[in-house]
Amino acid sequence: MRRSWVLVMVFLWVTLTSVTAMGKGAITFWLMPNAPDETHIPWLEEKAREFETQTGYKVNFEVIGWGEAWQKISVALASQTGPDVFQVGTTWNPQFAATGGLEKLDLAEFGSAEAFMKANYVSTTYKGESYGVPWFAETRCLFYNKDMFAKAGVQPPATYDELKAVGKKIVETFGEGSAIAIAGTNAWDLLHNWAIVLWAYGGDLLTPDNKQAAFNGEAGITAMKWYASLILDGLAAKACAEYNQPQADAAFINGNVAMCFMGPWNIAGIEQENPDLPYDVVEPPAGPVKRASFSGGSNLVILKGSPNKDAAKEWIKFLLTKENLVDYTKNLSHMLPAKIEAFEDPYYDTGVWQVFKKTLGYATAYPPLAVWGDIENAVVREFRNILTAVASGQYSEDTVKLYLDQAAEKVNEALARER
Amino acid sequence: MSSQARGRRAFRFILPALLCMLFVHVIPIFWGAYIAFIDLDIYTITRWMQAPFVGLRNFFTVFSPATDVGVRYLRSIWNVVYFGLVTIPAGYLIGLLVALLLNRKFFGRTLVRGLILLPYITPDSVAYNVWRFIFQARIGIVNKYLLALGLIKEPIIWLVGDRAIYAVMIASVWKGWPFACLVLLAGLQSIPQELYEAAKIDGASSFGLFRFVTFPMLRPVSATLLLLSAIWNFHAFNQFYILLGADPGKAHVPSTFILQEAFTNFHFGQGAAMSVFLTVVVLLMTVVILRVRRRGEEW
Repeated sequence: MRRSWVLVMVFLWVTLTSVTAMGKGAITFWLMPNAPDETHIPWLEEKAREFETQTGYKVNFEVIGWGEAWQKISVALASQTGPDVFQVGTTWNPQFAATGGLEKLDLAEFGSAEAFMKANYVSTTYKGESYGVPWFAETRCLFYNKDMFAKAGVQPPATYDELKAVGKKIVETFGEGSAIAIAGTNAWDLLHNWAIVLWAYGGDLLTPDNKQAAFNGEAGITAMKWYASLILDGLAAKACAEYNQPQADAAFINGNVAMCFMGPWNIAGIEQENPDLPYDVVEPPAGPVKRASFSGGSNLVILKGSPNKDAAKEWIKFLLTKENLVDYTKNLSHMLPAKIEAFEDPYYDTGVWQVFKKTLGYATAYPPLAVWGDIENAVVREFRNILTAVASGQYSEDTVKLYLDQAAEKVNEALARER
Repeated sequence: MSSQARGRRAFRFILPALLCMLFVHVIPIFWGAYIAFIDLDIYTITRWMQAPFVGLRNFFTVFSPATDVGVRYLRSIWNVVYFGLVTIPAGYLIGLLVALLLNRKFFGRTLVRGLILLPYITPDSVAYNVWRFIFQARIGIVNKYLLALGLIKEPIIWLVGDRAIYAVMIASVWKGWPFACLVLLAGLQSIPQELYEAAKIDGASSFGLFRFVTFPMLRPVSATLLLLSAIWNFHAFNQFYILLGADPGKAHVPSTFILQEAFTNFHFGQGAAMSVFLTVVVLLMTVVILRVRRRGEEW
């Protein structure tokens, strides 16, 4: 009789203690696979050891795929358990801040707001306060195949009109669809591809007060028509309409197409897949109004419920020391540092890096809003409908306006929910 | 030991399992249903205990043709119904035909019976990823064959837009028919041979045997199979998620849509409302299936 009660108690004791067993003096750090595991993990292990010797805090890191990161972070925010410090994409930062689950940070502790690239700093803010520290930055530039350009007798385009003229020459030499690879309906980052054209044509996603959609105006329609015309005029293959970004990248990296908008992280891919590819990088072309680029990257944030906030802050400072930041971005992630002083490293004045550095100088971040996810989804959904219409031959003069207006309506619906 | 004491003792032994069930199943189900009635979203997720009670508002929103989420949810329901109306009968028919063939004696029958199960036992992630390649516009073999046969002039985009759901249907029928076949084959083998002998003596043709013996005798099995398929159909997720990605666009089904709305867009309240509706539908279908089974025993 007694024995059965004992069994029950033992069972409960085992379950409960395994749940509550948690260490102190250690912090948990979640980050994404910013570099291949073979180099990433040893680097992190070494730095964690170094940090422990310096401060006495142990760092347990966990590399989480981008695909599952959003879900895992959502759970961490809702339950306020899990990581103490974690990496978030720049566009995620304001949304997570809006949940109230992130610790408010004073950037003076990490240098100052001015110590970081402006767009990256903006991405950490929500209602004027900072909820993260910029870690690294990225922006997309125009990669081109030097051999194909030479054979077609063209120079890298300086404007979006020139890009089409150059593309037509390339198509004459190499056949339909050979000029440029673009992201299509399967690209989660589809919006970034159009936003830079939109800005260059003088448009914007939202009105300056972030209260209304603005992308369905004249500039937006022209910019979207320009994007669709890449496929309609045969510069990009029809199959592009369903590409995700890596498929578009692969078409360029394999040497099948002459141009592609790609980021610094693709350089590692080229070195691995096709090291002989004769490529170079130029700034994104200019539109009638200006040259524009999208600022992405990642920030480091602290969970509000973390019991080790001081250790967490120390770890962020440690990762952002000039030496560690340059090492991490230059040798591991192949991104750009988000802290300005790191650009003093001569590496960033060489080859393609000076192009990325210059482009990042005028890169723009999306408005830091809680409902940004809904906004981006709504625009991307209608963007997909436009590309689908292009691919299925149902595209007409009115297609772009029709779908952009629909998107604007949904964006306004979402903006009405912003508090 | 009295029977009462035995009962108490037994209860103590199943108590840990009961507690697990309570914490892992029962509480989350009721908690999930409760979320459907509160305004749990990006602003309230970290203070979920204080999320305001909004009654049926989430339900009105997700069923309203006037809201974006409503339009898309209603379309996702239509999609899954349409998907089921095509794939379930198609899988049933193919399964039945093959089961009839396999019910005959021929050389290598055991081997063939094993082989036809291949699609069914291949993990969803593997099978649908292969189908994803098959339907690729540029490199997929579907387009390669269609082009070679001269049926199309240029590659068709399968996985995006209006055709996407048909691509998923084809892949799902391929994946699902062996199960129907297996169940129907078991049903066929339980039909007493005497019935066929009696029918033959009465002069039944081979179609007559099927029409008046085989098919009626398969009714209980068929009814269970079709209803089970209908229930599973409402949960359809893997094929859409793998073939079409996290956002299948116009081809959303409720499971993919709920995942996106609740966990990607942080509309937990609305997501829960959509899930509750789905659960009620499936529960009703389960009641039907239990009724049918009971009647099946009388047949």
